[in-house]
Formats: sequence, C-alpha cells, structure tokens
Amino acid sequence: MPAGPGTRTHCPYCALQCAMTLSPPDDDARAVGAPVTVAGRDFPTNRGGLCQKGWTSAQVLRAPDRLTTPLVRDADGELRPASWDEALDVVADGVRRLQAEHGREAVAVFGGGGLTNEKAYALGKFARVVLRTPFIDYNGRFCMASAAAGANRAFGIDRGLPFPLADVGAASAVVLLGSNLAETMPPSTAHLGDVRAQGGLVVVDPRHSATAALTDDGGGLHLQPVPGTDLAVLLGLLHVVLGEGLADEEYLAARTTGADEVRRSVAAWWPERVEQVSGVPADLVRRTARMLAARAALSRREGRGGVVVLTGRGVEQSSQGTATVSAAINLALALGLPGRPGSGYGAITGQGNGQGGREHGQKSDQLPGYRRIDDPAARAHVARVWGVDPDTLPGPGVPAVELLRHLGTPAGPRALLVHGCNLVVSAPDADRVRERLRALDLLVVCDLVPSETTRLAHVVLPVTQWAEEEGTMTSLEGRVLRRRRALPPPPGVRSELDVLHDLAARLGVPTGFPTDPAEVFDELARASAGGVADYSGLSHARLDAAEAAGQALHWPCPEGSAGTPRLFTESFPTPDGRARMVAVDHHGPADDLRRDAPIYLITGRVLQHYQSGAQTRRVPALATAQPEPYVELHPLLADRLGVSDGELVEVTSARGTAVAAAHVTPSARPDAVFMPFHWSGEGSANRLTSDATDPVSGMPEFKVCAVQVRAVGETSRGAADELEVVR
Amino acid sequence: MRVVVVGNGMVGSRFVEDLRARAPQAEITVVGAEEYEPYNRVLLSEVVAGAVGVASITLPTSDVDGVRVLRGTSATALDRTRRVLVLDSGEELPYDHLVLATGARARIPSVPGLERLPAGVHPLRSLDDAREIVAATVNTRRALVLGGGVLGLEVACGLRRRGLAVTLVHGGPHVMDRQLGDGAGAAALAGLTRLGIEQRTGVVAAEVHVSTFGTAATWGAPDGATADVATTDTGAVSRRVTGVRLTDGSTVAADLLILTAGTVPDVDLAERAGLEVRRGVVVDADLTTADRAVHAIGDCAEPPEGGTGLIAQGWEQSRRLAAVLAGADAPTSSPLGGTDVVRLKAHGLDVVAMGAPVAGARTVTLSDPAAGRHVEVSVADGAVVAVACVGAPEVGADLTTAYTRATPVPADPAQLLLRPVRGAATTAEPSPTLMPDRATVCRCNGVTKGDIVRCWEHGARSTDDVARATRATTGCGGCTEAVCGLVDWLAKASPDPSAGAPHSRTANGAQPASTSPAAVTLSEPVPSGSGTAQRRVPSSRS
Repeated sequence: MPAGPGTRTHCPYCALQCAMTLSPPDDDARAVGAPVTVAGRDFPTNRGGLCQKGWTSAQVLRAPDRLTTPLVRDADGELRPASWDEALDVVADGVRRLQAEHGREAVAVFGGGGLTNEKAYALGKFARVVLRTPFIDYNGRFCMASAAAGANRAFGIDRGLPFPLADVGAASAVVLLGSNLAETMPPSTAHLGDVRAQGGLVVVDPRHSATAALTDDGGGLHLQPVPGTDLAVLLGLLHVVLGEGLADEEYLAARTTGADEVRRSVAAWWPERVEQVSGVPADLVRRTARMLAARAALSRREGRGGVVVLTGRGVEQSSQGTATVSAAINLALALGLPGRPGSGYGAITGQGNGQGGREHGQKSDQLPGYRRIDDPAARAHVARVWGVDPDTLPGPGVPAVELLRHLGTPAGPRALLVHGCNLVVSAPDADRVRERLRALDLLVVCDLVPSETTRLAHVVLPVTQWAEEEGTMTSLEGRVLRRRRALPPPPGVRSELDVLHDLAARLGVPTGFPTDPAEVFDELARASAGGVADYSGLSHARLDAAEAAGQALHWPCPEGSAGTPRLFTESFPTPDGRARMVAVDHHGPADDLRRDAPIYLITGRVLQHYQSGAQTRRVPALATAQPEPYVELHPLLADRLGVSDGELVEVTSARGTAVAAAHVTPSARPDAVFMPFHWSGEGSANRLTSDATDPVSGMPEFKVCAVQVRAVGETSRGAADELEVVR
Repeated sequence: MRVVVVGNGMVGSRFVEDLRARAPQAEITVVGAEEYEPYNRVLLSEVVAGAVGVASITLPTSDVDGVRVLRGTSATALDRTRRVLVLDSGEELPYDHLVLATGARARIPSVPGLERLPAGVHPLRSLDDAREIVAATVNTRRALVLGGGVLGLEVACGLRRRGLAVTLVHGGPHVMDRQLGDGAGAAALAGLTRLGIEQRTGVVAAEVHVSTFGTAATWGAPDGATADVATTDTGAVSRRVTGVRLTDGSTVAADLLILTAGTVPDVDLAERAGLEVRRGVVVDADLTTADRAVHAIGDCAEPPEGGTGLIAQGWEQSRRLAAVLAGADAPTSSPLGGTDVVRLKAHGLDVVAMGAPVAGARTVTLSDPAAGRHVEVSVADGAVVAVACVGAPEVGADLTTAYTRATPVPADPAQLLLRPVRGAATTAEPSPTLMPDRATVCRCNGVTKGDIVRCWEHGARSTDDVARATRATTGCGGCTEAVCGLVDWLAKASPDPSAGAPHSRTANGAQPASTSPAAVTLSEPVPSGSGTAQRRVPSSRS
C-alpha cells in the first residue's frame, strides 16, 4: 500500500500495534460508514499487513450505538442522558459520600490494557492521589500478570519481548507455548515463514489451532498436551536438555544462578512420566528437546539463526501460570538463549497497550516506571513528582480477581470506576462478577459503546477512542509508539484525561491532572526516571522525530539514551547481574475433571473479535464472519453425544451453564471442548470459567476447567446423554 | 510434631517435601542408609543405557532448614513402646510419628552360584549398582539379563544400545507377562528380536557358572563344584561369572549377569518391631499401621489395594500421608481413573500397559504382528479400564490420558485403536479446482475462494487487484501463493481477452469467469506440475 499523506498511527486492537495510515474517507469507506480510510503501513512488526479487524477498525468510530452523552441512572432505575456536569457531580458526590461513610478504601478503580500510557498513568495517579485508595487493578491481570511475575523473578525486568519481533523472523527455531498467533495477531505470522521452511516451529497447544497447523507438512512439531499440562511438557523438555548433556553449561555457569535446583527438580520429570501426565508421546518430547538444543548449539557455534521461546495466554492463564513461565524461562536459560542476539525468551503481550499498561501504575502493587509501591525509595521519588507527601500514598491493593470478589461485600469497596474494560464478559466466573457489580452503590463506566458492563452502571461516561486521540502505546516488543488523532471525537465525547481532570477538581485536587497528552507523558517520563521501565528520555516530540528518521525507541530509555532494542546482552538487571532459575513443579488445574464433569473446557479467541467483542461485534463484516459463540468439539465426542455440526450443545461447569452451537472439528482433542469468549449472554464462555488464580501473579485460570457437555434441542435425550463416568 | 522418616529415597525425600509444604512447623529427621542425596531410581536403567548422566538424576535435597538429614545411617531398631528409633550410631530419635519409607531390595534368585554375588553379577537397585554395571560394560561383551519384567527389558535394551550381545531370560511364557497378554507379548518379543536381543522364555536359571582366578572352574562341572567354590569363597578370591545354565539344560555364556527378578520390600525393621507384615508393612488407607504413630509408604508398604511397585503410587501415598499428618482431611480428589500405568523406558521398544479388564468389559484389539504392533483396549461403563499397547507409542500416550482421567470413550471403542486425538485432521489441501467455494483462502481477512472468483468476475485481473478488492494477502501474507494460484487458474480458464494473461478456452469450452462459482470449480483441472498445483491454501475452518 502506498503511504500517502494522512495520519500515521497504529491499530486500536492488539499488542502487535500494526502501523496504519488514516486518510479522508474514500468511496469504500463511505459505503460502510467509516469516517476515515485505513491503509496498512510498512513497519517492522506488521510489514504493511493488517488483519480483518484492522482493516475494518474505522467502522467502530461510527458505531450506530456510539455513546455520545453521559448517562445517569435515575430514581426509576433507568439510565437517562445527562449533561457532563450533572454526571460528574453524581460521581464526585457519590465518591465523597461513600468515602466519608466507609473510608477511602470504599472506592476502587479498574483499568484496562487498552488505555494509552498517558491514560493508564493518569488513572493510577488519580487512584493514589485523589481517591487515595489502594484498590486499583486492571484487566492486564487477566492477560500479562503471570508472564510479568515470571520474567521479573528471573530477569529482574518484565518487557514482553526483550528483543525486536523481527528477531523471531530470523530464528532457526521458535517455540510457541499456548499462543495462537494466527488468530490473535495474524500479521505476526509473517515472521514465522523462514523458521517453518527450516522445520523449526514448535507449537504447544491442546488444539490443532490455526497456529499449530503452521507446523504441518514439515513446518515443525505440534505438541498437543492435555489441557493444563503444558508445564509438565516444559519440565520434560528441560529434563532431556539437562539429562542428555545438551545444555549450554558455560552459559549456565557464567550467567545464571539456581541451575542446580532446577536440574534436581526436573530429574523427577522424565519423558515417560511427562507422557503419562500430558499425553505428549515421550519420543516427541525427546525429539523436540534435541532439535532445540541442536539449533541453539549451531546458532552459538556457527552463527546460524537463533532459538526463541515464546509464551502466550494459553499457558499463562493458569493457576500455575507463573510456574509455567518460569519453566519456559528455565528452558531458554538452559539452552543459553536470553541475551544472545537473535535468541531469547519472550511473552507475547495481548492487549494493545498490555505492555505500557502494566508499567505505569494501574497494577495494585505498582507505581510508575514499574516501581513497587511498597518500596520507600520508589514512593519518595513518585511522591516528589506528584508533589505529595509519600506517607499519603496508599499501600498495595489486591489483584483483580480478589478485588472483584470483594466488591459490594460488607468489608469491600462500595464504588468502582471502570476504564477500558468490559468486565461482565471478560472476567472469569462472569455470573458472579455481575452479582458483585450489582451489589455496588456506585458503578461508573467510561466506554465508547454501551457495553454489557455499562448496562449495570449508575453513571456512564462517553469517551474518545483511538483515532480521536493523541498518546503513546508500548507494543509487544517494548517499543513506544505514537497514537495520533485523525479526526475529532463526536460532539459530547471527552477524553478520559478530561474526565480525570474534572473529577479530580471536584474532589479537591484542582491541579496535577493535565488534559494535554504530551504534557501527561512528560510527567510520566519524570515519574518513571530511574525505574525499571524508564521513559525519561522520551517525549511525544522525540518519538515523532525518531519515527520520521526511521528510528525505533524501545524502553528502557533514560535521558540521553537511544533506547534499548535488546536487553540482557551484557547482564541481567538483578542484584548480581545473573538470571535466576526458579525450580517449579506441575500440579495440574484447580478445577480438574470429576465424574460429573469429565471434559475439559478451553477458552480463547477468534480472529474476527477482540477481547469482550464490544468493539468488533459492532463491525458488520466481523459480526457476519463470526456471528455467535460456539463450542468446538472433536468428531468422536460429537458422535458420542449425538451432536451434529451446528446443533446446540449445553456446557455446564461448577459455576454456570452456557449454550452454543457445535462446531465439529478434528482440531479439538476428544477430551476437551473449546469456546471463544467474546460474547455475553447464554453462550458466554466466562460464565463457565474458574476464578481460581495463580498464587504468585493473581492471574485467573481462564484456560482450563472441567465441564459436562450435552446435546440440547431436537437431539436431546435428556440425562441419558450425559457423560457420567461410572467406575 | 516430631516426625522421623526412615528412608531418603524417592518416596522418603518426596514425603519430606510434601510434609514441609503442609506442616512447616514439623520437626523432621530423615535417616538414609545410602551416602547419596536422594536420586531418581526410576532412571537407573537410563543411566545403564547411557541415555542420561548420573549427575542429572539427583533429586531435590531434603537437606533444607528445619530438616535433619542423616545420610549413610541405618536404623537398627524401632522401640514402639518408648517411641524412639535406634540408629547404628547408637543415637535414639524420639518421634511422634514414624514413617517407614525403606523401599525394596532386589530379589536375588536362590540359584547355585548366587549365594554370594560373584564379579560380573549385579542387581539394579541402587546408584552403586548402576555405576558398577556401566563400568562393567567397558570390558564385557555378552550380557545375560535374568528376568523379563519392566526393568529387565529396560536393561536389556539399554545394554544392547551400548553394543553388548544380550540374552534375556524369562521364566514366563513371554516378557512382561504380568502386564501383557499373548498377543501383546508376541509383539514385544518381536520388538526385542528386531533390536537383536536374544530371548529365552519359559526357562529360568538353574545355576550360575563362576570362574576363579581366571579359570572356568565350574564350566561344565557338576553342581557340587560350584557350591564348593561359593561356600569356600572368602571374598578375597576373584570369582567371576562366565555363564548361566538354564532349566532346559542349555547354557548361555555371559560375562555380565544382571538380576532383574523383581524386588522384595524392605521390612526388617517393621518385622522386628512386631508390626504386621505380609509382603509389605500392612497399612490402612491412611498409610497407617495398627500402631497409629507408625506409617509406611512406598515400596515397603502394603496398602489395602496392594502395592504396585510404581513410583506414582508411592508419590500419591506421600501426598496423602502428608495431608493426614498435617491434620488436614486426606485429599478426597483421588484420581478419577487408574494410576497403575506401566510404561517401559526402553530404547527401541514402546510398551505401555495399565489396568485390568473387569467383568462385562468390552475389549477391542488391533493385531499387527508384522509391524510389531499390538493394541488391546478394554472399555467398561464408558471409560477405558485396561490397555496393553506395544509398538504404537502415540496411541499409547492417548490411551494413558484417557485411562488416568477416565474421559469418555468414543461410541465405538475401536476408534481408540488408532490416534483419536488428531483423527483425520490432516487431509491433503485441495487444488484451486477442487477447493470448495466456501473454503477460506485468506484467514486474516476471511476471504473465501468464492470471494476471489466473484472479484475476478468484477474485473480484477491480478493478485494486486484481488488484494485491493478483498484484502486477501494483506494480513500475514501467508496466502499470497494461494491467491496467485487462483488468479493464474482463473486467467487460464477465462475467455476474456482483457484478462491480460495467456489463456485459451478450456477443453470443454466452459467460461468460468461468467459462470457461477460452483460451475467454475468443476470447469477445469489445474495442469499438474505447473507450479500452481503445488501452491498451498490454508485449510478452511468451516
């Protein structure tokens, strides 16, 4: 696509942040009601490509039901249009009243990984300085928390990819654990072409997903474990690498600590045991480990393409997600990958600003710059930037799932402000979440469209979206990108920076909440100075200049720095400069199979939809391509249940029931069904999912739980269809 | 709570870990006879095979804060009245709970020549045994493995892998006859034969021949002579195995004899303490003896369901007993399916067996002797209850997870005999001609073949035209070849002179560009070898 004049920005959706150019609408755009024409732009991550979501993204700007006026629930319980002043007064009055009655902790904040760095930063500051509540967390807890915890404890830093994505394109072997790139960030699979040509793509996924299918025909190896057993597979790979003398012992000795404990811990995970637990044949475990080790050695000795180990939500959204990430990192370290150019470990960030969103204070235990809120020095630094007494800053709060569980309970928060998140669709055990939100005295939701969560709100505030605002996003490779405004928002719509400024003023903090994103960024840069995620050398102006000059700026980027595309080349940012190997063990899912729930449920995404679907379900082309929720099941299971393709099936977990159409496909395992989670209503996958969380990261176990599956409708033969296992 | 654990092996050390996790305040003392840190005994056959290094089988140490570890120490007596364990050092360890995890010893067949083990004869139970066997393989050529159970097969295959001539002697009708029926046994025998391992089944050792001072003193000599040498042996004299006479009268020469004739639970301490011992120390479902302060886990224990000798059972017992001692309710989430999975770790031979057919079970069998493959699956009440699987490792892996998790079996259990997981997932990708109209060509943008055909009908004549109109190829670019292929094919099949591509009327005169997509798909085969036909199209997800 020629890069004509127009606004150079990035896609509103996932962390790949495909570069796009927005121009005045052409006929095609007008035909679908889009106010701008979208064109892919050549860029190292998307190489000019866009998926269907990106191409159609401009239609969300003119969604027919776009929110353009604040709404306030009236005495009759109906949401009615209100003026901004009226709505903001209701919020401010409610906050004041609840905090006066129940204390500062009565108000909580829930953020999102789609917010710009500026908004995420301002939101964290608002919670700490204006509300002075410890209770802030965000939906990145559902997304990146385990990868973050695993990376932090190993490397002392959490940047999703500690190297540019382009390195993946030059690798000789790539391991994808629980990542379905072909659906979740399709243009990124362009980087897998060369590794597939060398047979070096390893996909670990219980489904023969679109990404796993890239290993077919000599592209590589697909390991298809029982849901929830990826960790056992990793421990088996490590066992072979360490047991067969295939590890990079020099690297282990020079650059790591903890190798001995890890070596001992994986002595208990020989391939045949891994096979029993995971169903991945022992020989395949050995072959995979040997292939990776051989390619790592060739890369080391002869400068061939490197080896890259990547994790995604499939392994991280687990009650042992952090342990699984640690095992993946241990494997990478045993092969001597991290810090070697062209090789390494990385987590594939999910949401658009899932990286930046987790660095600047939306997390319950965190201050800007990836600082810890319980670190006195960090508190002092940030308090200085904010012009407040460090002692007034609240301490750590609680992670998202725990926060949600406590909403509206006697000891829990009475009010919640939601930004950039559709909780009743995207949080686990969604029926319970709905109950908790209903129990609140005040629910305030900022959104673009009337999402399912706004329908429960007392106050709804209409806010700007991507092409209507300036700001920055930090992509999956830690590169800070400029989001630029191509058109004004519809009348009545305001930026969340305005909302926070106005609320702060009403709550007695008239300064400190600028509404100009560049100004907010400058403050963010100062607040992050000296932190792990140091942005102090960056500004909108510098980012613009660098982009014009074709330069990439990856954080950390302190003042005077040219950015850091590759981390760990010399040392790790740990006290002793070494990576820490942490021994972990496999226990299995929290909600494992039972007699009355003999099938695993896996949840995930489809290409056409993003997160809760609030945006993408409003784009006709996407809604037509994937109109409704479904249950993917293997032909053998379908046969056993008496279900044909397209018929309705009922899926029941310990928490709830969902009904959706059967998609019969051999890509499923016969012992597991799959549901995408983008919908609300009776086909909502998250009514079934477990809110069990990882003990380290607090991340919920979206990816696996135990369910009963039966046919409904015409083919239903009642209880006789149930798959009760009698032993 | 003072807890004394006798045995620092795989189960004893795991128990310390489990108990510390559940009861961090417990004062734990572990007494281990071996000098070594705990190691993975299951992998000793892999050490013998040269597949893993000795250094890599060391397990997590029990030697952590709050745990006293006495290595190289034996318990000599258990005084239950005073609740103390007496050590060979004379020290007495008082306990509130005593856990026996003493394991099992190798069974030494009572055969003339083995009263005292001559050089070249080894059981395989300890790290020292493994080291000695590995050392012995350097200057031996002919190995005889006595006992064709799981360990015997692993050792036989391992020694073969090291290049030794190996004979496997087994008293039963075929190897692993405890786990395998005739059909599976025959497949296993065939597999061993393929590896070049000689087998003698239905016979056992009658006598082990031993040379002294390098002379084959008993070679062909009467039995009494052997006994003489053995009984007069002071231990200082060099005695070395030279071969074994079998019960059929034949003799097999061997300079290395490995004893894999099963194990005997190590119950001496319990017996002397007056605890009930049958094959193992008798315990209830909570792993506790009649003396509520004494427990037994692992190979030395005999639980109500019987001991399997499998590590999975020992580890499960460890977890359970830790919960009991920590005062928690014992884990109720006992595994849904069976845990008695026997999986051979032999290089070149895949065998997995589990469960036992129950009354009323339905058994299906795949018998493929020529390929050394045999799969036998029994199903009852909608779940797999028994499996014998030889030479089909992937099927075996699927069956194992189906068995251990009791997942629903297919309506026709015969489906279990081949790989049910992947089923028919990989079918050949269709050529542009045969591809159905609704097949997705560009996944990133949801573009079907029908969309591209329609696009052609509306005047698109190049891949770029198609990309502009449909956005196919503008995501990851993976479908570019496929779209090129379709465009080429449409161009060749098109009568439209404006197409700008070399073409001619098709043989049957069809006009694809103006016909319905369905007609197009029937119109013309793609010339094979043109390159177009080689192009791949992402499979449809419909």
